[in-house]
Amino acid sequence: MSAHKTLKLIGFVSIAISLSFGALFASAQEKFGFGKPAHPDEIARYNSDIHTDGSGLPDGSGDVALGAEIYEYQCALCHGEELEGVPEMGANSLHEGRRDIKKLPYASSLFDFIRRAMPLTDPGTLSNDETYGLVAFLLNETGVIKDDNLTLDAKSLAAIKMPNRQNFIIDPASRFTAEDLQ
Amino acid sequence: MTQVNKTNRRRFLQASLASSAALLAKPASAQEVVLQPARSTGRTIFEAGEYGMPSEFATGSRLIGSANGLHGGARTPLSESHGIITPSGLHFEVHHGGVPDIPPHEHKLLIHGMVDNPKIFTMEDIMRFPSVSRIHFLECSGNGEQEWSSPSSPTTTVQQSHGLTSCSEWTGVPLKMVLDELGIKTEAKWLLAEGDDSSRMGRSIPMWKVIDDAFLVYAQNGEFLRPEQGFPLRLLVPGFEGNMNVKWLHRLELSDKPWWTHQEVARYSDPRPNGKKVVFSFYMDAKSVITSPSSTMTLNGPGFYEITGIAWSGRGKVAKVDVSTDGGATWQEANLQTPIFNKAHTRFRLPWMWDGKEATLQSRTTDDTGYVQPNYEQLYALQSPIGMMHNHAIQSWRVQQDGTVINVHHV
Repeated sequence: MSAHKTLKLIGFVSIAISLSFGALFASAQEKFGFGKPAHPDEIARYNSDIHTDGSGLPDGSGDVALGAEIYEYQCALCHGEELEGVPEMGANSLHEGRRDIKKLPYASSLFDFIRRAMPLTDPGTLSNDETYGLVAFLLNETGVIKDDNLTLDAKSLAAIKMPNRQNFIIDPASRFTAEDLQ
Repeated sequence: MTQVNKTNRRRFLQASLASSAALLAKPASAQEVVLQPARSTGRTIFEAGEYGMPSEFATGSRLIGSANGLHGGARTPLSESHGIITPSGLHFEVHHGGVPDIPPHEHKLLIHGMVDNPKIFTMEDIMRFPSVSRIHFLECSGNGEQEWSSPSSPTTTVQQSHGLTSCSEWTGVPLKMVLDELGIKTEAKWLLAEGDDSSRMGRSIPMWKVIDDAFLVYAQNGEFLRPEQGFPLRLLVPGFEGNMNVKWLHRLELSDKPWWTHQEVARYSDPRPNGKKVVFSFYMDAKSVITSPSSTMTLNGPGFYEITGIAWSGRGKVAKVDVSTDGGATWQEANLQTPIFNKAHTRFRLPWMWDGKEATLQSRTTDDTGYVQPNYEQLYALQSPIGMMHNHAIQSWRVQQDGTVINVHHV
């Protein structure tokens, strides 16, 4: 059988399969019925992500001093005392290049990532206060917000306008529109 | 244990018989043909084990790169790969927080957000859905990043420069079919896919792509996924950058807007020459590379050689691969291995008589959307050299007069 015929046959079989599903269910409302309903409490246990408008940010607050303390014993080993990065530990500078904190479009991305994935060997162990404190420390340290007394919570973090925000664009070669991104 | 003892005893007996036969044998006359003795029995069937392993003489292994063992990955040995399928054990990997091995009976997939009925699926639930198998490449968008500005080294191999792409047959369930069980709200435009590794890696995926061809995958190349590939469940977003094909998939959330996760804004975004940074540049554009002859190989004198390699495109099928042996001055169309699959590695081959003179080998693919793989000069106009992601420029290998092959940039 030629490759062309094989492909034609595959095409025919996939049409046949989709038709058979049409016949499987009497109406569009009918379902396979697999899976269990997710209880709101269960969703809440996993739903940790944060949107750019700050929705999803948890209660709590933290300041630069708390962040500096946490940074010293949880982060500096890999990210360096001055945020310069320790390549032997696998961490690049947070002052320049792709990990440059100043260049992030939203502070929410930073909070979300630290809470989600850091510290590398023990992620998910930082409290909300500690995470807010770390974001405050990092923004102060990188000069985004020069304020040694900066304290962040859900409201103040959501209000931060990162200086590089306007330099982020969507890929003109892709099919996205500005409306997709809002 | 008994079997092993029996085997050893038999071997001893055979050896004794052989040596007594040798003592009795007379010298062979000039006319007598001495048959080549048969090979010894080799390892027993029991020794071969319950999961077959490659020959100890077979070459081709992954190249591992990681500073801390938790973040980093491994590259596919492309110059020692054949055809279009990458064996699961040689598939490239990139990890962000180690490699969990999750018991499937404990694994659950939560789907919530802009759906009518949020649900939790067990692996048993997911495997009850009608299944599909498709052949697709997977490529890290950082593949080739160290080659952006200049060749990293003349001795950089194709495994080092291009080894973050692999191609497998994947089996699973179309994601649309699962989402239809929950009812997708019309305002849902984006999907967050989150992994259950320690880093809870998350990426935003546009719903049109989800509906088009994304699927939940539990098997690769005829067997269950390897832990390194996301066992027991991963997402496949065919043709989009590897990072979005979230492994150990445990949560999907539908929303009207993307999340701008750290992965998206700090790592997988592309600086442009004008200082702007492009986010959500998901497509892996048409790309090809010659895997043989390639850097660090040596041609053993003038004569016939097959030029072969792979081509792929995240936007569709490979339509054509052109090969040049003179640095892009002239091109010849290579033979493509059929059937050609959508968003899959496509093997190309071209017979070549090497005249013993210096030659610069290049391959250039065109996909079925008409997109032509750019050279470095063309790529620099599109993307900033500091960007490093989505390097899909034409690769050049220079065959030197002594037959050695090196990695060069040749626009």
